[in-house]
Amino acid sequence: MEIFIQVIASGLTLGAMYAVSTIGLALVYSALNMLNMSQGALLAFGGYVCFYAMETLGLPAPVAMLAAMVVGGGLGLAIYLLVARPMLGSPMFETQIFIATIGIGSVLQSVVLQLFGPQPKAQPLNVPGGVSLGGVVVPWQSLLILTIALAMLAGVAWLLGRTRAGLAIRATAQNRDAAQLMGIRIGQVYAQVLMLSGALAALSGIMVSSLSGLLPTMGADPMLKAFVICVVAGLGNVPGAAIAALLLGLLEAIIQYLFGVQYAFAILLGLVIGVLIWRPYGLFGKRQVVRL
Amino acid sequence: MEPDDLLVCERVTKQFGALAAVKELSFAARRGEILGIGGPNGAGKTTLFDVLSGLNEATSGRVLLDGRDITRAAPEAICHAGIARTFQLNACFDSLTVRENVQVGAVFGRAASGLPGLRPSAEAEAATQEALALVGLADKGDVVAGALPVLDRKLLMLAGAMATRPKLLLMDEPVGGLTHAEIDLMMETVRRIKAQGVTIILIEHVMRFLVALSDRVMILHHGERIYEGPAAGLARDRTVVDVYLGEGASARLAALLPEPAP
Repeated sequence: MEIFIQVIASGLTLGAMYAVSTIGLALVYSALNMLNMSQGALLAFGGYVCFYAMETLGLPAPVAMLAAMVVGGGLGLAIYLLVARPMLGSPMFETQIFIATIGIGSVLQSVVLQLFGPQPKAQPLNVPGGVSLGGVVVPWQSLLILTIALAMLAGVAWLLGRTRAGLAIRATAQNRDAAQLMGIRIGQVYAQVLMLSGALAALSGIMVSSLSGLLPTMGADPMLKAFVICVVAGLGNVPGAAIAALLLGLLEAIIQYLFGVQYAFAILLGLVIGVLIWRPYGLFGKRQVVRL
Repeated sequence: MEPDDLLVCERVTKQFGALAAVKELSFAARRGEILGIGGPNGAGKTTLFDVLSGLNEATSGRVLLDGRDITRAAPEAICHAGIARTFQLNACFDSLTVRENVQVGAVFGRAASGLPGLRPSAEAEAATQEALALVGLADKGDVVAGALPVLDRKLLMLAGAMATRPKLLLMDEPVGGLTHAEIDLMMETVRRIKAQGVTIILIEHVMRFLVALSDRVMILHHGERIYEGPAAGLARDRTVVDVYLGEGASARLAALLPEPAP
C-alpha cells in the first residue's frame, strides 16, 4: 500500500510536469501546424530565469515564477514575429519552421550556456519536508508541482473553453480559412498561442529543474517526452495530450518501480510504437485529424 | 459605378500559371438583390468567390465594396468590411458546438471595438441568438457541429456567416446534395435573409433553386461571362443551352419559368 501511494504520487507528479509542457506543444501544433523544436531550450531558459530572479535578484518565489513565464511568453512572441510570421505564407511552412526552431533552440541553449556556464545548478525554488499520507511521506515539492500543474491545466482549459481568445484559438485550429472569413485575425491568434506555449514551457522548466537541477541541456529529455505524448494522444489534440501526459507519467513511475529507472524510457517508447501500430492517429486522434 | 451597386468587380482576372480561372470579369451586385451565378464545373465560380472573400488574391483588376477597394485586403478585413461567405463543402468548426460556431462570427465578424473582453459582448450574444433563430437551429445550440446532418451543417454555416452581420452574403452551392424538401426549406431561409436587406450572390447548379431566387443570373464559362440577365432568358439563350444546360435541361427549365413577358 505504501509503495503504491509512493508510485502514484511520483507518477502523477511526473505526468503533471509533462502535461504542462505537452499542452504547449500541442496548442502550437494544432493552431499553426508548427512543431516547435525550441521547446526544450525554452524550458531550460525558464528554469534559469527563475534561478536568476531568486538567487541573484533575491526575488520571492512567486514573483520569480511569474518573471520566468513572462520571459517565456516574450520568447514565444519573438519566435512568432521574427521566424514564424515571415514563413507562414510558404507552402513548405511545416518543414521550414521545424528546422528553424531547431536553430532557435540551439541559439537559446548557447545563450544559457554563455550566461550561466555548463555546471549544474540547484533550483532555489524548493520546498523542504513532506506530508505523511497513509504512512508514506510525500514531499511537499511533489504536491506543490502537482497543484501548480493542475491549476495551470485548469487555467488553460478555462481559457480555451470559456473565453473569446479561446474561441478564436479553437476555431483557427479547426479551420484556418473559415476562421479568417469569419473575421478572426489569425496573426493575433498565432502570437497568443506561441506566447502561451512559451510561458507554459518556462513553468514546466521550473518544475523539472526543481526536481533534477538546472543544466543548459535539461530541456531535451522533457521535450522528447512531450513529443512522444503528443504523438500518442494524436498530434494537436490538446485535452488528449493532457490525459496522455498523466497516463504516461504514471506508467513511467510504475515501470521505474518494477524494472528500474534505466528501462523506463525504452519500455515507454516500445509501448508508444505499439499504440501507433494499433492506432496510427494516436489514442485520441481521428483519421481525418479533427483538432482540439 | 451606379449608386445602388454594392459590389463592383472591374476586369478581375485570376491566373493560376497559364490558366486564367477568371478572365477580365466585370460585373456588379446591386444593393438588396440576389445575383445567381451558374456555369459548368471549372467555370471559375468558386475561384471568383475566393477572390471576392480574400482567400485568393486577384491577379489583376479591382473589387470595390461600397466604393471601397478591397482587392488586396486580407480575408478577415473583408469580413469586417461586410462580406460573409458559405462554402460548398462542410466548413463548420466540427468540434465546437452549434452555438460556439455561430459565436465565432458574432464575436469576431465585426472589427473589434474597444478592449477585447473575456466573454462575448451582449451585442454578440444577441447576434448569435438571432442568427440561430434565423436558420431554425435555436434548439440545437449545444449539439457538437460534427454530429449534425448535412442540412443542419449547411444551415449552421449560413448562421455563422449571418452572425457577422454582413452587407453581402456569398453562398457557394447552398443546396448541393440536399433533397427536394430540404431545398425548399433553404429557399425560405434565403428569402428571409434577403428580406433583412442583405445582398446575396449565390452559386448553384440546382436550376430550380437558382431560378426561383435570383433577381438576375450570370452564367460563367471558362472564367468569362456568357450570359447576364433575367433567369427567364436562360432557356432561350443559345450559348447557355449549348455550353451549360443542354437541350433536356433547358426544356425542364423552360417549364419552371413563368411565361416571358411580351
